Amino acid sequence: MLRIRDLAVTFRTDDGPVEAVRGIDLDVRRGEVLALVGESGSGKSVTAMAVLSLLPATATRTGSIELDGRELTTLGEHELNGVRGKEISMVFQEPMTALNPSMRIGDQIAEALLNHGVGTKQEAARRAVELLARVGIPEPERRAAGYAHEMSGGQRQRVVIAIALACEPKLIIADEPTTALDVTVQAEILDLIRELAHSSGTSFLLVTHNMGVVADIADRVAVMYRGEMVEHGTAMQVLREPTADYTKRLLDAVPRLPEGGETVPPAGEPEPDGTGPGGVALPVPVLSLRESSVTYRKAGKSFTALDQVSIDIAAGEILGLVGESGSGKSTLGKVALGLAPTSGGELRLFGEKLGRGGLRGRAERRLRGRVGAIFQDPGSSLDPRTTVGEAIAEPLVVHRAVRPMSGRDRAARVRELLEAVELPASYASRFPHELSGGQRQRIGLARAIALEPELIIADEPTSALDVSVQAAVLRVLRELQERMDFACLFISHDLAVVHEFSHRVAVMHEGRIVELGATDDVLLRPQHPYSQRLLASVPVPDPVAQRERRVARLAARSAA
Amino acid sequence: MVEAARTAVRTASGGAGILRFLGRRLVQGVIVILIVTLIVFALLHLAMPQGPAQGILGMQATQEQIDAFNRANGFDRPLWQQYFTFLSQIAVGDLGDSFKLNRPVADAIGQRLPKTLVLALISMAVALIVAIPMGIYQAVRRGKTGDYVFTTMNFIIYSTPSFFLGLVLVIVFAQWLHLVPALAPQGDTVAQVLAKPAGLVLPVATAALGIIATISRYMRSATIDNLSEDYVRTARAKGTPMPVVIRRHVVRNSLTPVIAMLGYYLPVMFGGMIVVESLFNYPGMGLLFWTSAQTGDYPVLLGCVLVIAVATVVGSILADLVQALLNPRTRGELA
Repeated sequence: MLRIRDLAVTFRTDDGPVEAVRGIDLDVRRGEVLALVGESGSGKSVTAMAVLSLLPATATRTGSIELDGRELTTLGEHELNGVRGKEISMVFQEPMTALNPSMRIGDQIAEALLNHGVGTKQEAARRAVELLARVGIPEPERRAAGYAHEMSGGQRQRVVIAIALACEPKLIIADEPTTALDVTVQAEILDLIRELAHSSGTSFLLVTHNMGVVADIADRVAVMYRGEMVEHGTAMQVLREPTADYTKRLLDAVPRLPEGGETVPPAGEPEPDGTGPGGVALPVPVLSLRESSVTYRKAGKSFTALDQVSIDIAAGEILGLVGESGSGKSTLGKVALGLAPTSGGELRLFGEKLGRGGLRGRAERRLRGRVGAIFQDPGSSLDPRTTVGEAIAEPLVVHRAVRPMSGRDRAARVRELLEAVELPASYASRFPHELSGGQRQRIGLARAIALEPELIIADEPTSALDVSVQAAVLRVLRELQERMDFACLFISHDLAVVHEFSHRVAVMHEGRIVELGATDDVLLRPQHPYSQRLLASVPVPDPVAQRERRVARLAARSAA
Repeated sequence: MVEAARTAVRTASGGAGILRFLGRRLVQGVIVILIVTLIVFALLHLAMPQGPAQGILGMQATQEQIDAFNRANGFDRPLWQQYFTFLSQIAVGDLGDSFKLNRPVADAIGQRLPKTLVLALISMAVALIVAIPMGIYQAVRRGKTGDYVFTTMNFIIYSTPSFFLGLVLVIVFAQWLHLVPALAPQGDTVAQVLAKPAGLVLPVATAALGIIATISRYMRSATIDNLSEDYVRTARAKGTPMPVVIRRHVVRNSLTPVIAMLGYYLPVMFGGMIVVESLFNYPGMGLLFWTSAQTGDYPVLLGCVLVIAVATVVGSILADLVQALLNPRTRGELA
């Protein structure tokens, strides 16, 4: 139905032309879900945008794109507007910003209908409500009169899908439709897409980097790498018996949870509670929270981000903290770093009480110097105007009172740290924008270990990275941990990564820790209903296993 | 100032407790006005160490005459008592008496202020009608010839002092082309001024040009910001033609910060009016301020300062209110 032949897209940039897509062929058949996968920079999103000519003005496109035998590349803007939303529509990655903040939801859906002369204003408004109901939005009449900010990310994505569905298009192009969503919400959106493809015969071109999503929903898969198509075939073939080297590498890099019940010794050395290496009793945890609460006030209403949480991290222990957005996991990390004021409870670092009735001022800062931090976005957590060397040396300068160091020693230490994270020492003079995302995150890592911390708070350190890069960063982090034996609070929404990395795991939900225990117990044999639901929602990159998981999840849901 | 508007936008659109926010702004405003009265009072006494007696009775007045005047008017009391008298007089709209005009300050300002407001509002309206489409046009044609032409023009206007700009306009349109008079219409009431619209053309143009230069730049950047928003892509993917996307989606979201900025623009407008009114001899508060400054009529000067301070506070609160009304996040709380 959709036939792409020899499509190439080149961007004009200040550094000369950049070939984003280099001559690819692609077919989407009626009623099928075709997944276009690849890592960042592979050209998959550019391909998707090229279909409806939504590329920026700096892009040049060659090749042919046909819809049911009709060439789309030669259409003028006016004719293209007849195709957009009518025959082919799109769903985008960022549901939080994809809707107009000052236009009513119903009007935004009705606009798609009115653009193509489908019915009167009243009919379009009525149809908008029906569409909201169709995509599973409760109270559709009320929602249609409301605005985007009143809805959650998952609901907004449903609205964007409703817009895409409005004119009953032949094809919906979905560019990373679930990437910004929590796994449980992702599972619901994927269920919706599958149901739509099944019931209305709509084809989907699904752009994604998530192999689990591919296994869950795709009939066929096309793999892109650096602007070229390296492999395509059915989901079964590509995911289970990949032929291209790149696909094999990509699949290998995807962290997986072992199947339920099956026990695999977790990476690293698991250490039971309260004991350090060699089984010596270490009675003092490096971080200890007792009934700590954090409340934010907003619009006069108070919101409890952290609800009487108690947790201990032993020296040298990696505690994985999982949960969905808004569960309070990042707040817990901020409390540990002293970045969020607690409204109750007790915080101890290395056995010393902090805050009210404990250490304050300089003594507190000195203690906090023994804690390192790594944040999610390697791009924005480095100052664009300081060199890599300065960024890494900064903690050494800040804490020079505690450990004085000459400029030469500091430079030597920076070189040492760069080598520790497997980057050449010459990188010290570079600026962050000259590095890739994975390299920047290693800089973040080098900075975090500069003071030889006994505890590192890592908040989603790899979620902004591609899987192959993620694997490398995690390996470096693990090696450093084994060598330096720091404790780590590892915050992530990716259960498989946490499973690979942690000794113990805590599951957070609505500000509370609902389950805490050894990694395998929590992630392979979860006890709490929420942990079970969370686990069931994670798609695995194997079509057969994923189908079983899906059936089990849907059965559990209808039973409940 | 643009920064101040941006901050206010962020604060107001934070969503939370807009009524409480406005309540706080109101309290802040009252405090600001109190501080201004304190400064005005202090300046009155600094400018006239002998008290207002000398100003009113003249330089030839003897010490006995001054003492008698001070006793009669209560100017021999301690300063703090005088300040409270001053405050209670302001509260009922009594700004004291002019030295030179032989009438109460409130009277003089009351007669001039409406005419200044009319001139300011017409200038603002004209400026908006030109600047908003100009900003949108520049944003859409960003980096192309049209954008550069307007940007250059705006920079030239922006960097030209308004008295010079006004003079150039007078020379070209009044002296050479004889299209419009070089003098503003005279009269005591707004109606008299409006009766001769030709005379308003040059004052309005002089005042509006500066505003156009500022607001079109602001509109341009707000529109450019909004054009790169994801919702624009969503709207285009629905098949909405680009001109409609701009009209229906982008303009409204870009206008919000610009409208909020207008409230902050009010005091700037008053400053501009002093120049424009004295240049064209327009009988407004700006001219009153200018002549009072020349003749040393301190009560009038400081009365004007007080009026401008109140206008500033009211303007910024209005800006916040409009901002809250335009933002669906906060509108519900006001309803």
